[in-house]
Parts: sequence; C-alpha cells; structure tokens
Amino acid sequence: MEKDVFIRLDNINKTFPGVKALDGIHLEIKKGEVHALVGENGAGKSTLIKILAGNYQPDEGGQIVIEGENCTGLNPMEAIRKGIIVIYQDFSLFPNLTVAENISISNQLEKKGKLVSWKEIKSAAEKALKSLEVDIDVEVRLSSISMAKQQLVAIARALACEAKLIIMDEPTSTLSKSEVELLFKIIRNLSRKGIAVLFVSHKLEELFEVASIFTVIRDGRYIGTYPAEEMDNDKLINLMVGRKVEFVHQGAEKIGKVLLEVKNLSKKGNFQDISFELHEGEILGITGLVGAGRTEVAQSICGILPPDEGEIVIDGKRANIRSMEDAVRYGIGYVPESRLTEGLVLSKSVEDNAVMTVFHRLKGSSGLVNSKKKEKLALEWIKKLNIKPGYPHMLVSKLSGGNQQRVVIAKWLATDPKILIIDEPTNGIDVGAKSEIHSLLRKLAAGGMGIIMISSELTEVLAISDHILVMRRGRINGRLDGSLAKQEAIMNAAILNKSDMKQAAEQGGLL
Amino acid sequence: MKKFVKSREMGLVILLAILMVIISVKNPAFIRPSNILNILKTNVILAIVSLGMLVVMITGGIDTSVGAIISTATLVTGNIMVRITGNIWIAFLAGAVTGIFIGILNGLLIAYIQIPPIVATLGMYSIVSGTALYITKGAYINNLPDTFTDFGRITFLNIFPDGNGGKMGIPIQLVFLAALIGLTYFILHFTKIGRGIFAVGGNRMSAERIGYNVNKITVFVYGYMGFICGIAGVVHTSIMRQVDPNAFVGYDMQTIAAVILGGVNVMGGEGTITGTLLGVALFAVINNGLTLMKISTYWQSIILGALMVVSICFVVIRKNQSEKRQIKVEIDQEVTK
Amino acid sequence: MKKHSKEWMLLGVFVLLFVVLSVLSPDNFLTLRNVQSMAFQLPEFGIFALAMMVTILTGGINLSLVTTGTLGGIVSALVMAGIYAKGMKEEIAIIAALLVSMGISTLCGVLNGYVVAYIGAAAMMVTLGTSTLYEGIGLFLSKGNSISGFPSAFYWFGNGTIAGIPVPLLLFIIIVAVTWILLEKTPWGMSVYMVGSNKKAAEFSGINVNKVMLKAYMYSGFLGSLSMIIMMSRYNSARVDYGSSYLMQTVSAAVLGGTAISGGYGKVFGVVIAVAIMQIISSGMNIFGLDRSLTTVVTGIILIGVLTLNFITSQKGSLIKNKLKEE
Repeated sequence: MEKDVFIRLDNINKTFPGVKALDGIHLEIKKGEVHALVGENGAGKSTLIKILAGNYQPDEGGQIVIEGENCTGLNPMEAIRKGIIVIYQDFSLFPNLTVAENISISNQLEKKGKLVSWKEIKSAAEKALKSLEVDIDVEVRLSSISMAKQQLVAIARALACEAKLIIMDEPTSTLSKSEVELLFKIIRNLSRKGIAVLFVSHKLEELFEVASIFTVIRDGRYIGTYPAEEMDNDKLINLMVGRKVEFVHQGAEKIGKVLLEVKNLSKKGNFQDISFELHEGEILGITGLVGAGRTEVAQSICGILPPDEGEIVIDGKRANIRSMEDAVRYGIGYVPESRLTEGLVLSKSVEDNAVMTVFHRLKGSSGLVNSKKKEKLALEWIKKLNIKPGYPHMLVSKLSGGNQQRVVIAKWLATDPKILIIDEPTNGIDVGAKSEIHSLLRKLAAGGMGIIMISSELTEVLAISDHILVMRRGRINGRLDGSLAKQEAIMNAAILNKSDMKQAAEQGGLL
Repeated sequence: MKKFVKSREMGLVILLAILMVIISVKNPAFIRPSNILNILKTNVILAIVSLGMLVVMITGGIDTSVGAIISTATLVTGNIMVRITGNIWIAFLAGAVTGIFIGILNGLLIAYIQIPPIVATLGMYSIVSGTALYITKGAYINNLPDTFTDFGRITFLNIFPDGNGGKMGIPIQLVFLAALIGLTYFILHFTKIGRGIFAVGGNRMSAERIGYNVNKITVFVYGYMGFICGIAGVVHTSIMRQVDPNAFVGYDMQTIAAVILGGVNVMGGEGTITGTLLGVALFAVINNGLTLMKISTYWQSIILGALMVVSICFVVIRKNQSEKRQIKVEIDQEVTK
Repeated sequence: MKKHSKEWMLLGVFVLLFVVLSVLSPDNFLTLRNVQSMAFQLPEFGIFALAMMVTILTGGINLSLVTTGTLGGIVSALVMAGIYAKGMKEEIAIIAALLVSMGISTLCGVLNGYVVAYIGAAAMMVTLGTSTLYEGIGLFLSKGNSISGFPSAFYWFGNGTIAGIPVPLLLFIIIVAVTWILLEKTPWGMSVYMVGSNKKAAEFSGINVNKVMLKAYMYSGFLGSLSMIIMMSRYNSARVDYGSSYLMQTVSAAVLGGTAISGGYGKVFGVVIAVAIMQIISSGMNIFGLDRSLTTVVTGIILIGVLTLNFITSQKGSLIKNKLKEE
C-alpha cells in the first residue's frame, strides 16, 4: 500500500435482513486529502460511515486497511484510537458543559488518575481552537453558542483526539454562507496539516470549493472515484442518479376540483412563501434535499407547526388549523417521516395503532367502546391493506417496515380523509413492498383523495407524482409536471440556486 | 462574574435579600446574630442533605430513601456510642459506613436491575426504615456519652451577643457543612467521576459513546448520597443530643423542595452548589421569618408551595420559548424571479 | 396467556399469601371478623392507589394526591359541621359536604393538570409544589386541628354495612368498575394509554394530549376526595395529616400492580391485587403480633423482588430472541 494512503476499504458489503445496504464499496483516502462522498438519500452513505466508525462490521470478504495494517472488525473505541473521528449531525456534544470541557473530554477520560485538570482542559481546548484559527471563548456553556460554533467545537474535539481522518456528515445544513466559508477555511487548514477529511454532502457547489476528489455511490453500489478537475455539476448529478427508472410512471386518470390551496405560507426559520394547489385524484410530490423545509411545510398544514403568515384554504373556505386535532376535522391525515417514533406506538398492538385516530367511532350501543367493534375495524383494514401477519393483537413492533407503514396508513384511512400527507412513504422498506405502497397510493388517489407525498427518492417521486414541487432552503425552487420531468431537472432544482439552474438549462437543455 | 449576575442564582440572592429586608422591617429580631445563628443551626442538616440530593438530581435521578438512611445512621451511631465507645471519630465513621452501604444498594438496584430511581429508593425506604423501627421499637436513645454531647456543644468565634447578655459563637456543625460543601465541590469539579456525573446528566448517550461507565457513576452517586446522609445523621444527633428514629419521616420531600427552589432541573445535567444552598436559605428564611412576623406557620407551606410552582413554571416557560425560536432551515435569501 | 402474565403472577402471589396466612393462623386470619376488618381498611388505600395509577399511566405522577384529598376533606368538613351546627337537616349537610369535597379536590387536579400538560413542567416537581401548597391551605383553614361535629348519619360511609358488606368496600368496588370502564372502554381511557406510551405519536394521530392529561389529573383528584370521605367517616373528623403515610405506598402499589412508571401500561386488575396483597400482609402481621414496622419491610421486599423478577425474565426473553436472530 502506498505510503500516503491513510485508509483503504475494499469489497465492502453490508447486508441487513431483507436489504443489501452496501454492495462492493471501494474507498481510498490519502493523508491530508479532502474527499467528498456523494450520493442520494438512501444511497448508503450513513451505513458506510458507521462501518468506518466501527459501529457496524462489514460482511465477510470486506477489507479495511489503516496505515498499512489490516483493521477489519473495528469497534468504536478502536476506531477513535486509530484516529477516525466522526462528527455526526447532532455533534454528540454536552450542552450543559463548557466549550473547553467538550473539546477535552475524551482526553481527560483517557489520562491516568482520578482527577481532571482544568489547566489542561483549557490549554488543550485553546490549542485545538487555535490550530483551527477560530476564536471562541472556551469558558462559555456549549448551549449558549450558535450551531455553527458548536460544530467547530466538535471539530476541535476531533483535533484534540489527534484525529487523522475526520468524517463530517452533512456539516453545512445549518450554516449561513459566511459560516460555511469559515468551515472550508478550516478544512483546508486540516488538510495542510495532513489530516484527511471525508465530507458527506448534497450541496455540490460547496463540494467543488473544497474537495479534491469525489467518490460516488448509488443504491449502495460503488460507482467510481473521480478527481475534482474531471468533474462538474452535470456529470456529478448524472452519476448520482443515472439509473434506469425502476418504477413505471403511473399518472392520475382524472384530476378533479381543488381540495387544498396553500397561499404564501411562511414560518420564520422554517420556510417562506409556499403556495400550491392540491386536487382530487392528484398526487403532489414534494421533494428536495433533507433540511429544505418539506416536513415543516407538511406539519404546518397539519397544525403541528402553525404558520406565521399565509393562508390555508380547504374546499374553498379558509381553514384555521392550530393542532392535529383541527386538521383531522378538516379531513387531513398525516403519515409522519419517522414511522417508529412518530407514526406508531411500538409497545402497543396492531389493533391499537390502527384505530387510535378513531376511538370515538368504536362506541357500541351502550355508549362504551366495544372491543369486538375495535377488532372488526382493525381486521377490516388488515384485509384491505393486506397487512401481514394479520393478527390484530400482535405487537406492531414485530411487523416488517412495509407492513408497519401500512398500519399507519390504515389508521388514517379509518378517518376517511380527503387529503393525505405522507412523509417518506417507503423509507426503510424493501423494493418489492415499495411498489405495493405506490400502487396503494395511486388507488387512493383514484378514489378521489388528494395526496401530498414528501420524498427524497427521485424514482418514487417520478413514478407516481402528477405534479412535483422541488424545495430548496425553505422555498419552492422548481415546479415540474410529473409525467414529463427528468431526474436531473429535479436534482438541479433541489441543489442549485436560480442562476446556476439557468446556466445548466442553457448548457444542456435539461429542463 | 458577569455570568453570575445574569444567572438564576442572582435572582435568588435578590429574592432572598428582599425577603430579609421585609422581615427585618417587620421584626428587627430577625437580623440579630442570635437569630441568624439559630437559623443556621436549624437548617444545617437540610443543607447537608441537599448537597447529596443535588448530586443525585444532576444525573437525572432522585432519592426518596433519604429519611430512612439518616434515621438508620443515627440509630447505628447512637447504639455504638452507648454500648461501645463515645469516640467521635468512630461515631462519624459508623454513620458514614451505614449510609454508604444503603446508598450503594440503591445504586445497584438502579444501575444493574434498571429499577427506576423513584421506585428503587421507595422500596429501600420501606425496607430500611421498617427494619430499623422493628429493631429499635422506636425507642429514643437519651444517654449519649458526654464526649459526644460536649462535642455537639462546641462553638467558636464566640463574639456574637446572644440577647441575654452572654456570647455565642458559630456551632461546630457548620464546620461539617463547610467541609461537605468543599468535598462535594471538589468531587463535582475536579474529579473524572464528577465530570462524568454532569456528562451523564447532560447527554447520557454521548457519555456512553465517549466511554464513561454509566453504571459505575450511578452507583457512586447514590453511594455518595448515602455517605452524606450518614454524616448528616451524626451531625443531627450532635445537635439534638438524642436519637429520635422518627425525626426524618418525609424529609426527602423537603430536601427535594429546597433543591428545586435552587434551580436544579429534574431532567438532569444542571445544578450548582450555590443554587442549592440559596434554595435552602430561601426555605429557611421563609420558615423563620414568617414565624417572627407572627404570620401563622400555616402560611409557610402556602408560600413555599406557591413559590415552588411559580419557579417551576418560570423555568419551563423560558425553556419552551427558546426552543420555539430555534432556526430549523436556513431560508434562501435570494428572491425568486 | 402470556399477555397478562404479570398480573396473573401477582394473583398467584396473593392467593399463596392468603392460603399461607390462613393455614398459619386459622383462628385469627380466616375469621369473618378479620376479613371484615380488612374489608373496611382496604378501600381508602385502594382508591388512592387507583388515583395514583391514573396519573402514572399518562407518564406523570401525582405527589399531591393525599393533600388534594385532605384539602377537599377539610373544606367539606367545615361546611358539613357548619351546616349541621346551624340545625339544618343532616342530609343537606352531608350532601353539601360530598359535593364540596369532590369539587375542591377536582379543582386541585385541574391546577396540577394544567401546569403539567399545558405548561409542560415535570409532573414530579409540579405536584410536589402543589402538595405543599394544598397542605398549607388545609393547615390554614384547620389551624392544624381536627375538625369534627359531623352529623351521625355520616358515620355510615366509613363504618356501615349493606348485607354484611362494608359500605367502603362497596364504594371501592364501584370505583374499581368505573375506573376500569373509563380506562378500557372510553376513548379518553384508550388515549391515556397511547399518550403515556408515546406522547408524540399520540399528538400526531390527532389526540388532544393536553386535554387527556388534564382529565387524568382531575380524575385523580376526584378519587382522592372519595378516599378522604371514607377516612373522615372512619375517624369521624378531618385533619391535614390523615393519609400522609399512604402517598409513597400508593406508588408502590401501582408499580407492584404492574404499572410502568414511565407510563403507557398498567391494569386496574393488577393494582387492585397489589392493594389486596399489601392489605393482607398488614393484617397478617398484625394478627401474628408482629410489629407494624415489619409490614413496611415486607412490602418493600415484595416490591423490589417482583421488579427484579420482571427484569430477569425480560432479560432472558430478549436473550432468547437475540439467539434466534443470529441463527
């Protein structure tokens, strides 16, 4: 192995029950290199990071070599000792401790003896911050400084641990333009010191500013590694999405009247100026990068995050929705993004989950809830939506992802909604089950429902959306016709700002 | 220093000052040295035990077995002193060991059997207090050796007028409080395990990821609480010069109340010794002051309860407001054409 | 059936204890007099236990349970004694007392529920504060004294019998039934379990979480007043410190009865059995001339023992599951 290579991964596969997350990944990072890892949501980037960090083990046959040594079978603490430090999106910091302590905490733990040395804590922290050329008061509480500065603290901690490879997962999602510039300056600094940085991000224009080499993965498969000089936006996007469409486009047969109208909806710190219409029989796909504000818009319509400005008009009348309870009364249903934490009560049965939106409808003649009625209703939905296994009393946590999602959908269908908002409908569900859910959604729309589907999976969006809204940084940046749109156009709207998009359109006729 | 001025502690100091002024105006006897020393002596135990409760609550836990631990410690110590030796060192050692033993049992149940703190300490309270009561039949111990009772009377700096023409000084029990304040501060701020206590309370998952042994820290925290209760028991005995097994029923609630007034977050990760002591001071001043102002003692609970509820609401509402203002999405400032 | 195994195990423990005690002391334990005596004592504690359980189910706790009851009791006692002293009919005095007691305690519950649900403060802290507050008001009104002067008919609530069955026990049975119906057979009750298990998912399903929790604390306060009425009748007076030892024991009873302290799980059936277990232990100890203090010891041991057993069996369960996964 060449002397200047820090880490090399060969033939990395990772299989989970029912899903092959990584397939034949190859990655080589040289010392001091700023390496970009590029791919869509769900392409396998997080899984790869977890393998690098030692949280997951690769399948047999995979090889990890660090500085010439074979290190397959790492655990987290060993990975840190080898110099691999991951900065997660939540930073893993302690909000109640000072900046200095957050930076030095690992070092203090490792050293001998029972005491901590505040002098060391302060000096190590100042040293780390100085080498980043960043000025932050080390004595303040972590929670009192901005997210951007907290991120710098996380990087400083990595430095204090003598990192040789720092992995940054979507580091710029909460940063302003100037904060991003600072981050890049620091990354270049780290590179000069011989510390490698693996930069995972969707924001291509940023990657071009700071990375010298790109590795692209798609659907868990290794596509290739390319030096920055050979790359540009188009080529990159092409590599990221270029695959044959797996789902055949199914459009609406008939689109009816306007069910929902959203006018200039805004909420400070979340989204701005959102306007669109939803018709009977239509599936409206809302896409964009993670952090673009899509879920926030959906939750605003549902009353969970009421907007500051703007109007929601349902069936021609202005709607005042301040809670999910209100939303349900207006005929809106919401299948949330995190099925396990927000959509289901895992400790309860399929039956309990399927009827929890309509408890009041279970009353029998006595005025009390009739358990037979409850079971009957649950069985009805189990049959209608083909939920397997079909035992209503089974704990919902035991079902597969696809079936769990069906339970959540069932719970909403039970309220007979006119409008269904579904956020990441097939997240974590295997391919076979995905198309079944798509058919289900299409069927529901054909029955007259209006569906808003938020998704990061372009093939899914293209497959069943009649219209597509692309959001970027809190605004709608693109409106496309579902049957005509191409993946590249969507990605452009999701990633590029207006002027870059115009340029791309002029150059390649992508729109 | 600027941090202190803006902090909750400053608010408490101001509140305390205002209260003291109001009370002194109504009844100047309040600020007489003899009264102040009296307040100190009456509440020194509460202060000591609150230190332990602070440590426990920083990790997000709670200890409702406090009363039982203190009682048991006093019983063990009392019996040893009456039957074996009146040596003060042994007395304190016995108290400490008793407390640590019970505390560690609490910690083991909570850490390794994953019984929630409130339930585990409740169970231990039942078992320990019941056992103690059974063995002693609730009997007082009155014949403590002179070496000990004399020790309890020691005062120093006898320069304060006692209102009767004589002089009084600072009771020795306060020395113990000071020592325990020092010890607690030292552990919380200068030891690895102390910083671990804050880490676990602040972000338990990250603490595990970094490599802290959360179970060990848990056992230590409850063991330390036990130690504090043990010492408190012996100190209390030195004040009362007798052992009364029933003196501490319901004491855990008072301690928790004082600690909450001092600004501890029941969710964990927060808490200062200063705040806790101020909370105890507030508690003490209200009790003493209301008595002196000839306001019936019945108002004390009302005022205390109302204060607690208001202070809790205050903290929570402020926290909710700051959460609402958080920016989730960096909105693109370019205006679309 | 595996599903309710915790509660069936508890029932087994109860039966076992009952049999053991009966065998060990047939002349004293298994007598009508003793059973009746237990039947008189159990309800006031049992009602409190259910009141505590309901708030724990929502993921909170009600440390002001007892003082809520005593406050309602004291105000109603003053009203009752006052009306009676003025020479009005006994029935009026008693009915007034009942209404006042229930009203005040429910109001106390409203304050608790409002701060916990709508402001969002931690239940333990809030109810600790309100407990002090209510106790203070009670002290203020009663000046620390017992309030008596009740009409003689009031005696019936705590000491009377209907067909040989003590009135308090009948009341308890009714309350058990009503609570069971509320929790298992009404939309509110079913929402309680969902809120306690996963507040966010409940909110996202259109459940009005705040209202659900508010009602839980109101019901808890209401039950507290009922328990206090029984106590007032038995002691023929009202005092601030009645029932003070019950508070922590009700938490023990709830947890022993299988209620998860984090919320979302708990059966009325289980709590009732737990209360019964604690009662027969107390009576049994009494009969054997064993010190009262040992009762608390045994209760504590059973509580920790049962939880430890639950822990061990759940560990074994997940270990087996993991083994199957690997294969």
